[in-house]
Amino acid sequence: MSNENRRKIWSHPWSYREGTIAAVAILLLGFALQLSTNGMILRMAGFPWNLLSGLVFLGILIPAYYLLKHTPVIKGLGSVKAALPAILGFTFLVLLMGFVKQDVEPKSALFRTLGLTHLVKTWPFILINLYLMILLGIITMKRLTPFNLKNAGFFLNHFGLFLVLFSTALGSSDMQRLRMNCYEDQTEWRAVDTSGKTIELPIAIKLLNFNIAEFRPKVTIINNQTGQVVLNKGKNQFEMLDRNSLDLYGYHLEVEQFLESSGKVGEAYFQVNEPGSAPSAKVKVTKDGVEISGWVCSGSFVNQPEALKLNDTHSLVMLPAEPRKFSSELNIQTKSGKNITTIIEVNRPYKIDGWTIYQLSYNTEMGRWSNLSVLELVRDPWLPVVYLGIFLMMAGAGFLFITGKPKNGGTEHVA
Amino acid sequence: MEELNMWLDYPIYATVAILCWLVASGLFLSSGKKLMNQLAAGLSFAGTAFLLVFITILWLHIQRPPMRTLGETRLWYAIFLSGIGLISYLRWKYKWLVSYSLGLAMVFLIINLQHPETYDKTLMPALQSPWFIPHVIVYIFAYAMLGASSLVALRNLFFAPTEKIIKGPIQMADNLVYIGFSFLTFGLLFGALWAKEAWGHYWTWDPKETWAFITWMFYLVYIHYRFRHPSEHKKAMTILAVSFAILMICWFGVNYLPSAQNSVHVYSE
Ligand code: HEM
Repeated sequence: MSNENRRKIWSHPWSYREGTIAAVAILLLGFALQLSTNGMILRMAGFPWNLLSGLVFLGILIPAYYLLKHTPVIKGLGSVKAALPAILGFTFLVLLMGFVKQDVEPKSALFRTLGLTHLVKTWPFILINLYLMILLGIITMKRLTPFNLKNAGFFLNHFGLFLVLFSTALGSSDMQRLRMNCYEDQTEWRAVDTSGKTIELPIAIKLLNFNIAEFRPKVTIINNQTGQVVLNKGKNQFEMLDRNSLDLYGYHLEVEQFLESSGKVGEAYFQVNEPGSAPSAKVKVTKDGVEISGWVCSGSFVNQPEALKLNDTHSLVMLPAEPRKFSSELNIQTKSGKNITTIIEVNRPYKIDGWTIYQLSYNTEMGRWSNLSVLELVRDPWLPVVYLGIFLMMAGAGFLFITGKPKNGGTEHVA
Repeated sequence: MEELNMWLDYPIYATVAILCWLVASGLFLSSGKKLMNQLAAGLSFAGTAFLLVFITILWLHIQRPPMRTLGETRLWYAIFLSGIGLISYLRWKYKWLVSYSLGLAMVFLIINLQHPETYDKTLMPALQSPWFIPHVIVYIFAYAMLGASSLVALRNLFFAPTEKIIKGPIQMADNLVYIGFSFLTFGLLFGALWAKEAWGHYWTWDPKETWAFITWMFYLVYIHYRFRHPSEHKKAMTILAVSFAILMICWFGVNYLPSAQNSVHVYSE
């Protein structure tokens, strides 16, 4: 320890002092830049400038490492003494993101200028990312040459992370995420990007059919005065109407009839299938020998919901059914001449000409009668590089699992 | 026929498991006899097996993987924790570790007994994916491993005053962290690949993602610190204890943070 204190700063070997100074300086520089640009939201330049700056970065980093690898600075940057403060500095920013809600209007002028509500697009975040990339690049080269198979796991973890950081940073500007509103039987080729700008696409999409499958609706008990759901030991209780008899807060329910899609005629409900028809059920409710029977209906954008009054304090209500699955049947035509009919649903996007088409949403007010399907179109040309990084890291994680911790701390085969 | 509400049966299964584990821990801690240790191992296995039976029936009954509500994840946690305790006993013969893990598993069962939550059968479309089960299982397994490593850390911090005694157990902590951390990495990356399929982007810095990432970073710090400072045991153990606190925030705390409204990952109810 005393030895370390007498050593001149920035000379070899680094201690945590140098590493910490470097990481803190980078954060401070970042926040200073952020303040001086008055909270500007940063964006990476688009193609080809991002690719070019990536190549310049590598073009400087690689030769610099091999020319200067015996200098204290490169040795220091390639050590845990620099890595740990850097990782902690990055963690500090991510912790900020963990506490401050992101992507909302900043609460105060200070939040705005420091960029606390959109940290990933600020100078400190970008600089610390750059610093981590430099460190990861240096240690990857350090362990790669001379080549030693024992370093395979190390290489996979560190180079994998390097690739992920590198490609997400550069690729962020080339990624397009657009939202498209498709109405049944209409062809659409315009979409809106995240900033609200309308963009014309080389793809035209016609929504042939939008479909929702629903879960059976749930029922619960509400208080007549407050209209609130009655609590049971501090919890709401909902029961799904997928069986013929069930118990709720001491009430016993017998479902006499369940209609998936119904309309009210006079005092009763009948199976109908037209826009706005909603699920309903005829139930018999008993408690303490008192029996009440009647209809409950969840209602829709045309029909009122119907509750069943059980006594002076409680009523039984049916909640709107939740979607189990929603899907769109699409006809897709591209400028390149493709003409395809396909069905997409959540978790089952469709890929065409570099675009991925996702099922995003629909008119939730109209529920299963929605004639609108909201699609998301994503283009992300850097994705293969990101995936390569992710797969390398997975292989690295496999190595960690199989080989475990190197013996004696593992420093033996380290230069 | 009226279907049973499965969770009404939970107290029976939980009580049996807790009794098995109580006796097992008692035997592990009090007796040195081989036969008694074998009996204890058998009993702790029986407790875990009971819960496995329960969760299987529950799964069949609710027609979706029981991995969504906090109550359900606690159940998995109890199963994995007791299982890992037993396996590490069979492998390394650490009796105190198996008793600790059983103790912690019991705590989770008891929390579930006191908070009978409503169990929702619906599963939103985004969660209906082949990625769902591996993602959650891998995470819970990682949490259980890292939880066990923290038990080792706490024991080392408070009950192992000399560096000499700490040496063996710290290797055990390392083993658990390496296994737990590799699963955590898998969980994170599976999550990213799934998010790409479901939401169009692999990483959106959603609060749950952010906290999962923070957790990952803390264990990363532990690994690097241990690598460079193999003999600074106390400091390493402190990092491990802090990491576990972060992990707990990620798991339970996120729901209560102001930054987490509208998160798609927050467990329902
Ligand atoms: C965040 C950026 C990271 C930095 C700056 C970093 C830096 C370092 C450094 C400097 C070393 C010591 C190497 C030496 O002295 O030659 C090291 C070792 C190590 N790192 Fe990282 N690392 C990072 C991320 C990771 C990740 C993501 C993982 C695992 C998934 C990881 C796992 C390891 C392991 C296991 C070792 C021990 C070396 C060995 O087993 O051979 N690191 N890291």
